[in-house]
Amino acid sequence: MKKGNRSFGKILMILAIVFFYLPILYMIIFSFNEGKSLTSFTGFSLRWYQHMLESRDMMSALYTTFSVAILATAISTVVGTIAAIGLSKSKKIVRDVMEQVNNFPIMNPEIVTAIGFMLLFITFKVERGYMTMLLAHIAFCIPYVILSVMPKVRSLDPNLADAAMDLGATPWVALTRVIVPQITPGIFSGALMAFTMSVDDFIISYFVTGGGVKNLSIMVYTMSKRVNPSINAVSTLVVLIITVILVIINVVPLIAARRPKKAEISKRHIAVPAAVAAVVVACLVIVFGMNKGEVSDLPYAGQTLYIYLPGEYMGEEIIPAFEEQTGATVIVENFDSNEQMYIKVTNGESYDIIIPSDYMIMRLMDEGYLQKLDQSLLTCFEDLDEAVLSPAFDPDNEYSVSYFWGTVGIVYDKTKVSEADLEEQGYGIFLNEKYKGDIYLYDSERDSFMMALKDLGYSMNTENEAELQEAYNWLVQCVTTMEPEIVTDEIIDNMAQGRKALGLCYSGDATYIMSENENMGFYMPEEGTNRWYDSMVIPTTAESVELAHEFMNFISSYDMAYANSDYVGYTSPNLAVKEALSSEEEEGSYAGINAYLPRTDHPLDEVFVFNEEVKKLMGNLWSKVKIAASNAN
Amino acid sequence: MKKFSQLAVPYIAWAVMMLIFPMFLMLLYSFTEHGNSIISFSFTLEHYVKFFSDPDFLLILWRSFGIAVKTTIICLLLGYPLAYFIARSSEKIQNILVLCITIPTWINMLVRTYAWIGLLSDGGPFARLLGLFGFEEVELLYTEFAVLLGMVYNFLPFMILQINTSLCKMDQSLLNASADLGATPAQTFWKVTFPLSLPGVINGITLVFLPAISSFFIPKLLGGGQYFLIGNLIENQFITVGEWNFGSAISMIMAVVMMLLMMVVKKLEVRNQGGKEEK
Repeated sequence: MKKGNRSFGKILMILAIVFFYLPILYMIIFSFNEGKSLTSFTGFSLRWYQHMLESRDMMSALYTTFSVAILATAISTVVGTIAAIGLSKSKKIVRDVMEQVNNFPIMNPEIVTAIGFMLLFITFKVERGYMTMLLAHIAFCIPYVILSVMPKVRSLDPNLADAAMDLGATPWVALTRVIVPQITPGIFSGALMAFTMSVDDFIISYFVTGGGVKNLSIMVYTMSKRVNPSINAVSTLVVLIITVILVIINVVPLIAARRPKKAEISKRHIAVPAAVAAVVVACLVIVFGMNKGEVSDLPYAGQTLYIYLPGEYMGEEIIPAFEEQTGATVIVENFDSNEQMYIKVTNGESYDIIIPSDYMIMRLMDEGYLQKLDQSLLTCFEDLDEAVLSPAFDPDNEYSVSYFWGTVGIVYDKTKVSEADLEEQGYGIFLNEKYKGDIYLYDSERDSFMMALKDLGYSMNTENEAELQEAYNWLVQCVTTMEPEIVTDEIIDNMAQGRKALGLCYSGDATYIMSENENMGFYMPEEGTNRWYDSMVIPTTAESVELAHEFMNFISSYDMAYANSDYVGYTSPNLAVKEALSSEEEEGSYAGINAYLPRTDHPLDEVFVFNEEVKKLMGNLWSKVKIAASNAN
Repeated sequence: MKKFSQLAVPYIAWAVMMLIFPMFLMLLYSFTEHGNSIISFSFTLEHYVKFFSDPDFLLILWRSFGIAVKTTIICLLLGYPLAYFIARSSEKIQNILVLCITIPTWINMLVRTYAWIGLLSDGGPFARLLGLFGFEEVELLYTEFAVLLGMVYNFLPFMILQINTSLCKMDQSLLNASADLGATPAQTFWKVTFPLSLPGVINGITLVFLPAISSFFIPKLLGGGQYFLIGNLIENQFITVGEWNFGSAISMIMAVVMMLLMMVVKKLEVRNQGGKEEK
């Protein structure tokens, strides 16, 4: 080996290590940041750790991630090794076929495998949750174990086992004493691989989970659109846990190896499972620590309430307060879009309360997925704003209780955008090349089409295909000439930091943005906009119906509604709360912010109506708009 | 020897249930008309026709291949020398280096990708560093560069570890023999080391290329919502559009293309191993 090559390798190695650890280091540093920013460090603080420890979501996500990973690794390593040995001794045809089958989860894009598992569980009506996640993890980990054990087995001299058996060893002894020790490195790297895959997995877990069971990835995914430094804190904790596990696995055999040589092999074999067992025990301790098993005489003790709502859509103190008052356990699950919610609910996932939007409530109602509310259990209607009572989709409030409401409008940077342009052009400002590269579109087919249709002077509920086609062309023009960024909730923090000049935005998010950055304004075009209502409904599959009603009353009460609206920034349906939060005298958080008070008197404002054909067409066209945007890059 | 072959039986049963059947279901969906019920089916080819008759969809597929190929090449070019360096170190250092490379892969992929957002965003350390050199106003986040960086960052360890495994497995005496017989180090490398490490290279390529082509959250987080790859398209069909049948069809197309590619790779592998397969 030449010296020059060696030092080149050294430099490359150092650079690679820097490359691998820089983001991790950055993350750790910013987990101690006092402020919320991810780019400027303002001071040392442990607040994000406190936040993390208080967040049951995060702690249970950690537990799920590691318990699934450890169980899946252990099971798939054993099964995979046995299968690899078996297969290597099978007929060539069996081996080749199985190798191909084995390649399914490895060779397929992960999302394909994920969809496959989802279809499987749905077809057999297996309730999705922890067990399905574990099964799926085992299923996709085994092939990786086989992949790394197989070459080791194949490179073994086939006569070895025969020799052992000729010398009187039973097949079991031949297996454990002769074959396994020789392929230990393969088994070990297979297990490592399985663990890595399982801990890392997002896509498969995401599709096969249910009932509020989240692993770390799913949690990060649902939270990552907003800047949330607690994610950094959790990540730092994960780094710590992983480092400890790795040190145990790597150092214990080294210590064992220092013992007299005779004992080496057996020691080594005890050490690794022992380390794994220790970790499992540690996990179990965590579980038992979490289920304190308090006996309580509260009215709903022992019951569980499953709530399904959009991400970042509820004040943090609400759930703990509700649990304390009722003794019930609340499990919250988040969705990204009404459509995603619909797919889960209609495939039999059971929830007690879901919080969809107007048109989706209409759809769920029409298709028989919702149950009527028991009016005798509800005390909340008297506090609600008249503007949200009896909405068009549910005129007698038979099915729904309002949760938040608002409009859609344009959030803009007053220092960059002239108000004259806004007033003159309305949504047309999104085609004004003066603002090229400086705009956000919202990744929602409905709101984007609303904008285009309104700008063209049509109803946003049009069923006319030609009009929709025109709107499609409008949007394609926008994405191909304006270089917009198509985002969802990322818009909130980015606009709050003034990254772009213009964005289409929900009024509640605009409220938050404006309260964070006084340079921001909110404009509702004269062309009309979407007035929307998100309401609580109870699906037919609900199990804790009475508790669900109790929750509806609870969250509509003044104190809770205040805390909720104050935290999220969306407009409260509770009239007194809305007035208090927007009042100058009472120093409401959102005093003077026009986005907090939805426009109710504009003739061109509309509420979405569900129409299956239009939805399908819009969905397809919107995918094509995004494709056009992507291809324009 | 035959006795051991029975060990494979339980796994074969499991694989039929958990690996083959889901693919069969997906195949069924891809050939049936819209609707989430498989009880009443009517077969159709419309989903495949829809995909192949639209240049936009084909372009997405092509671009996804493009970025996956770029990622794989970069990972191979960086990964091989690194793996080689590790394999030629003393055993102690080898263990430490492998550990160093493994640790990041154990930390959640989404978390690590999320960390890059801060590093790359406007006003972040990279933008400031470039600013010092006079490159101001360079957009890093939400570009193809960011997506590529994210992919290389996430998948490079797989390449290194795979190649390293096959290099370590190699019989050292072969190299000594080659040198003894008068080969230069370069000759030894190209005639002995590299061919013997090919299984690792191929595994590495597989483990990088596949997640790269189907990843949808890396483009989403680092490329922005307007960066649309085939994975995003499939996700979109299932999550927001609800067209499971069309989504299944795209998935099947991907799966078939992958299988074909894989067969080609296998052929190459067999040829390179000089008929070792025939035993």
